[in-house]
Amino acid sequence: MIPINAVFGLGLLIFFIGLFGVLFRKNLVIMLMSLELLLNGVNVLLAGLSYHMRSPRGSIFAIFIIIMAVSEAAVGFGLVLSYFRQKKTYDMDEFNELKG
Amino acid sequence: MIAGLIFYFFAALAVLSSLFVVTRKNAMHSVMYLAFTVLSVAGVFFSLQAEYLGAIQILVYGGGIVVLYIFVIIIVNLNEIKPERRKLFPRMFIFSLPALLFLQIINVLFTNRPTPPAGPEAGLSFTSFAEMLFSTYLIPFEIASILLLAVLIGAIIVARKKLLHDPD
Repeated sequence: MIPINAVFGLGLLIFFIGLFGVLFRKNLVIMLMSLELLLNGVNVLLAGLSYHMRSPRGSIFAIFIIIMAVSEAAVGFGLVLSYFRQKKTYDMDEFNELKG
Repeated sequence: MIAGLIFYFFAALAVLSSLFVVTRKNAMHSVMYLAFTVLSVAGVFFSLQAEYLGAIQILVYGGGIVVLYIFVIIIVNLNEIKPERRKLFPRMFIFSLPALLFLQIINVLFTNRPTPPAGPEAGLSFTSFAEMLFSTYLIPFEIASILLLAVLIGAIIVARKKLLHDPD
């Protein structure tokens, strides 16, 4: 039996690394990758709880999270491509058109 | 015992390679490490007896999303991004938020808590998974299919070159 603290630690560590990437990196594509890491961390937590409670509900919820992650990646890349076509950059510091 | 060893092996791989995803300069290297992370997380799922979840992870993440990232990085050519020039307050914010979360992780790792009690439904078998997915969670499942259709259309419309009302 895998201890629940180990599963929690793994999920939270992956989540932490992803959050670090979203906040620190300035490359838009790498920020989207870090978002995938965040969702993966949550999936690990759900699978671990499902394993410990002997119930398939956690896995089912994780499946829905994967569906949502795929949707987010597809639409996010559409937005990145159309932004890049207009501005020729994906440095986050250049995203300041709304600044007064 | 064996499952525990497999879990720790893949957990160490996942944490190491996700660190590399965040810290590599070249975006293509980051994508390769992302593929590595995703596959090791699938190994973690297998060791946690979530076989279907692991298979879906390999198919969807390893086969779909990583290839999508590679295509986008090829299309969007990689020019250099200037080094960081943030002000003091946002920099304090982006340092303190992960630091607080990291303290919380240490707290979680070193407190002893009892394992949660088993739920009313017993078993992690594939049969119980499928029965619950297609009875209790049928409506969310159908809504998810509608979401995927909307994403298919929306991504095409957002990423296309010409506007919709363009006469050409």
